[in-house]
Amino acid sequence: MKKIYLFILVLSCLAINAKAQSVEDSLKEQLSEIKDRVNGLDERLLTSESDLSKLTKIKFSGYIQSEFNYYENKATYPSNNFSLRRVRLKATYEAADGVKFVLQPDFAPGSLSLKDAYVVLNDHFVQNGLFKNALSLTAGKFNRMNYEVEYSSSQREVPERSLVIRSLYPGERAIGFKLEVNPQNIPLKLQLGMFNGNDGGFTQFSDTTGKSASNTIENKDYDSFKDIMARATYSFKLGDFGGLDIGAHAYFGSLKSSTNATLHSDYATIDSSKVGDAVKKNWFGAEFQFFADVLGGLSLKGEYIAGKNATLGGSKFANGNLLPNFQNNFAGYYVYLIKNVGKKNQFAFRYDYYDPNTDIKGSDVTITKYAGSNTAKIGSMKSSIADLATSTFTFAWHYYFDDNIRITLAYAIVQNEKVGTNAAGVTNYKASYTNPDGTIGYNDYSTIFKQNQLTIRLQAKF
Amino acid sequence: MKSLKTKKIIASFAIIAIAIVSFAFINQERITVKGSDTMVILAQKWAEVYMKKNPNASIQVTGGGSGTGISALINGSTDICNASRKMKQTEIDKLKARYNTLGVEIPCAKDGITIYLHPTNKVKELTLKQLSDIFAGKIKNWKEVGGANAEIRLYGRENSSGTYVFFKDNVVKADYAPNCQTLPGTAAVVNAVKKDVNGIGYGGAAYSAGIEICKVKKDDKSPAYEATAETIKKNQYPITRYLYMYLRNRPTGAMKAYIDWILSPEGQNLVTEMGYFPVK
Repeated sequence: MKKIYLFILVLSCLAINAKAQSVEDSLKEQLSEIKDRVNGLDERLLTSESDLSKLTKIKFSGYIQSEFNYYENKATYPSNNFSLRRVRLKATYEAADGVKFVLQPDFAPGSLSLKDAYVVLNDHFVQNGLFKNALSLTAGKFNRMNYEVEYSSSQREVPERSLVIRSLYPGERAIGFKLEVNPQNIPLKLQLGMFNGNDGGFTQFSDTTGKSASNTIENKDYDSFKDIMARATYSFKLGDFGGLDIGAHAYFGSLKSSTNATLHSDYATIDSSKVGDAVKKNWFGAEFQFFADVLGGLSLKGEYIAGKNATLGGSKFANGNLLPNFQNNFAGYYVYLIKNVGKKNQFAFRYDYYDPNTDIKGSDVTITKYAGSNTAKIGSMKSSIADLATSTFTFAWHYYFDDNIRITLAYAIVQNEKVGTNAAGVTNYKASYTNPDGTIGYNDYSTIFKQNQLTIRLQAKF
Repeated sequence: MKSLKTKKIIASFAIIAIAIVSFAFINQERITVKGSDTMVILAQKWAEVYMKKNPNASIQVTGGGSGTGISALINGSTDICNASRKMKQTEIDKLKARYNTLGVEIPCAKDGITIYLHPTNKVKELTLKQLSDIFAGKIKNWKEVGGANAEIRLYGRENSSGTYVFFKDNVVKADYAPNCQTLPGTAAVVNAVKKDVNGIGYGGAAYSAGIEICKVKKDDKSPAYEATAETIKKNQYPITRYLYMYLRNRPTGAMKAYIDWILSPEGQNLVTEMGYFPVK
């Protein structure tokens, strides 16, 4: 009997052991399976992380400016409207450390255009000394090097840039390249650029036969002349009180002459020039930006630019006259005063002035002495309201609803330089416009006529 | 619509001037602090002790990384930004554009970026060059720096972290290796290295309790140092940095009182207590 019990006991032990072994084997198998799964998940996670890290190199930003405008100028019809001033979407791709691609179209209704398209290469070769990682090369279509030009419209404290900047840098961008030196330990920035130099739409006179062709493709080159631009800025820190940035820029450009004479801005001096010669447009500017921490942020910014600008003439052999190139001395400046009021509000004031022809005063416009002395060469070109200066006072109040939304109320008081009394009786001191009923009206430049503008803008930025 | 007359312009200026002065004197009691994860335990301690001493004060502290804190300072959602790196020029430019100030930088503590290793790792010291090559992915096996024959596993911070930027700019001086696992906070880096015998990570000295610290040498010929109060003070430890507080404007009222207290001996004693190093 005992033997039977012993046999059953041994059998039970063996059975339990076999079962335990089986459970252990099963657990090992399950553990191995789980390990394989975790390894599989690890691999998938690494792949996903790798894919996601590529996506983080692409960044999108942009803004929409939706606004209501009221124009006092009777030449503007309708006198008020809703519009989308800027609809920008900017895509930035950092392909590698120090290599960046930027693409920014503007989707404003009816005028889809490419604003920016450029690549930036940052230097990684200079690893020591003053210029360690300080150099960068930008190539493509991008903003020219001027404070107000480079200052984003989404940040600017008044709705539009100053008239002098809009006149000298239409469209702001140009196609070319730019070298920038920005040493890490010195608050100095040097910029040197070369561009096609043809900005905005214009009419080009193709040859001496007087044939003209329109070139409305912005920034496309049509001559071999290239424009060169340089800018230097330096920042001073004034302790905790604020800072002062100063700078200067120079522009050396030219246009290809389509005619044999260049008339100067006094409407009396003419230089002979051949078709194909370079008509110079050179100017210099000096700028400052002062920031002070006085009961919240305050800034005072300004820039003065003066020099020669140029527009092309052309041949008009049909009537025996010649339309010469025109090279005008100009001057312009702007001054901003900006004050933050708490975290949410900001007040801004800007005065800007642009005189497209510093050799002609308002009182001299259309006076005979400035009419062409050599009609065979300069035809009927006379000084006109196009030579008058314009002053603009702009007041703006911004409310920052949050980081993304800014609401702006702005009022621009525009004042034209008046033509003199001697101009009365001649025809070009008035600018005509057509009224809605078809009648002709005139803006009379012997007075300061109404041309103020109210803007209420809602800006959404991301 | 009539043109504005001179009197109206003057009246508008007067109203604006009154509004500006009125807003400027609004006293702010509630202070929000955001930014560096490296500094978050210190900032929380400062806030906790200060609020106990000043029951009327309300200070809210959150982390998120130095980059996140600086963005918050620019977009107005925080009053104080803690940062373990200096503000970049592009960030100062944004501050200028939005608030017309250059910001106020206040160094409030010092830190030594510490290299964490698993306690079983044979490697006890590394040069800056070796650290650069390890985190750039040029050195991939511990045997290349005197350790076991095993693959090096890298742990680091996310790119919004000031520590990430400082370590990259001052030590790695190149892109991080693609296999460097990014983790949300120094504590997570320390935990990951604790569990990985072949792991290496970097972060603030205050998080180094319970983990092996790797000594760092400037080069082959220099002595190896650990981040201590003495080596930081004597500028011997090669990866030393300041920790900053950034403000939009010069502090006034409650904010000034709080910052003055942080820089006082009492505030600086807490810096040492929490494992960081005082500025003075």
